[in-house]
Amino acid sequence: MTYTTKKEPTFTKDAIALDDMILTKDSPTTAGSKMLEGYTSLFDATVAEKLSEDYEILGKVAVSEFALGMLADSAATALDEKEIKAVVGLDANGAYRRTAALTGKVFVKPTYGTVSRFGLIPVACSGDTVGVMADGADEAKEVLGVIAGHDDKDGTSLPQEVCAAALDAGTIKKIAVVKDFTANLSAEMTAKVDAAIEKAKAQGAEIIEVDGGVLSQAKLAWAILSSAEFCNNVSRYDGVKYGYRAKGCHSIEEIYVRSRSETFGSAVKSAILYGSHVLSTDNYDKMYDKALRVRRLVKAYFDELFTKVDAVLLPACSKTDLSATECVYEESKYTAPASITGLPVVVAAGVQWLGKPLADGALLAFSKQLA
Amino acid sequence: MEDLLDMLEKVNQLSLTDEEKAVAAGYFAATEKDFATFSAVDTDGVEPMVHVMPLENVLREDVSSQPFTREDLQKGAPEAEDGYWEVPRLIE
Repeated sequence: MTYTTKKEPTFTKDAIALDDMILTKDSPTTAGSKMLEGYTSLFDATVAEKLSEDYEILGKVAVSEFALGMLADSAATALDEKEIKAVVGLDANGAYRRTAALTGKVFVKPTYGTVSRFGLIPVACSGDTVGVMADGADEAKEVLGVIAGHDDKDGTSLPQEVCAAALDAGTIKKIAVVKDFTANLSAEMTAKVDAAIEKAKAQGAEIIEVDGGVLSQAKLAWAILSSAEFCNNVSRYDGVKYGYRAKGCHSIEEIYVRSRSETFGSAVKSAILYGSHVLSTDNYDKMYDKALRVRRLVKAYFDELFTKVDAVLLPACSKTDLSATECVYEESKYTAPASITGLPVVVAAGVQWLGKPLADGALLAFSKQLA
Repeated sequence: MEDLLDMLEKVNQLSLTDEEKAVAAGYFAATEKDFATFSAVDTDGVEPMVHVMPLENVLREDVSSQPFTREDLQKGAPEAEDGYWEVPRLIE
C-alpha cells in the first residue's frame, strides 16, 4: 500500500485524498518523517476544511520526507487504485510535476497566493504551493475552484477577487519553447516534448523558440532560497514539545541532537546543512542575497516573455526513468523557474505549461484541449 | 569539506553518519559546480526579491483568543507533567 486510508467512502459525495503535508484535525500528519510519527494536529488546514464541505476526504497519501523527494508517485497510484477525484498536495520542489509528466496525470500548481498555505507543514514558504493532481483538467479545475480563495490566516494570501480571477478561462495562442531546456533530454523525454508541441499546434497555437537567458540560474537560486527557508522551518523539531524524542537523554542538548539525528533522513539533513551554510555570515551576500536578486531577474525574464506569448513550455524533467534515489537538485532545473517565481503551471501531455500570474484558468482550459 | 560539515552539524544540532556526510558532500558538490555561472550573473542595481507577489502588511482586530487549552497543546508532548513539558534538569 502506498497510501493510508482513513475510512471507506460512502460515495454520497465525491472522494478526495490529501497528501501527508496537510494538517487534518484528529488524524495523523507525518510529513513522511519519523520525527512526526504519531503526530496529530489540533486543527484542520484551510484547504482540508474547504474540501471537507464538498468532498469526502478519503485519507492521506504518503509523501517523501518533507516532500523533498524526486517523485510523488503515491498520489498517482492512489488516483489509479482508489475511486477518488483528485489528490491535493504540497508542491515544494516539483515532485508532483515530475510525477504528473511521467504518469500522464494532470497537475495544477496554482499562482502563489491563490490557495491558502495555513495548516501546511512548511518546507520553503516563499514557494510552497498547494496543488491538485487528477486524471483530467476538468477534475483539477473543479477541485482548484474549491480550495482557491483568500484566507485571513495566511499572510501571503491574495485578495478574494484576485483569487477568483485566476480561475477565469482565457486563451493560449502563442507559446514559447525555451531552447536551453529542451536540449540534453533523453530520447523519450524529447519525444514527449515534441508530441506536446504537435498537440499544441493542432489546437492552433503558434510556437516560437526563445533563449533561456537567466532562467538556468533559477536552479541554484531556488536551491539556496528553499534550503535556507527549510533549515529555519525544521528548527522547530527538537524533541521537546511534540514529535519524536530520543530515549534516555541526560541533557536538553542531547534531546535536540539525538532526536533530530535519529529521525531525519539524509536528504533532509543535507538540506538543513546547506541552508545554514548559505545563511552564514561568510556566504550570506554571495549566496542568499544573490539568490534573492537572481529571483527578481528570473521574474523579469518571464514578465518580458509574457508580453509576447501566452504560455511557456518547459519539460518537467530530463528523462522518463527517474529514480527516487537520484539527486533532486539536478532535475530541479526544470521545476525551479516556476517555484522561485510563483507562476502557475499546469502539467498536461507530459510537459509543464507555465503562464503569467493568475493564468491558471487559461492553462487548465488549454490543457483540456490537449487531452 | 569535512571541517565545514562538522561545523554545520554542530550549529544545526545534528549528528550525521559517514554515509549521510557523503550524501551531504555530494549535494554541496552538485551546487558548487553551478556556482561560478551563478556568481557571474550581473545583479548590480537589482533589488532582492523576498516575496514573489506584492504583499501588504496584514493586520487584524486586536482581539485576544485562546483556541487551545494547555491540555490540548500538550497532547502530543513526548513527556509532560503537571501541565509542563518535561526535560532533563538544566541546572545542577
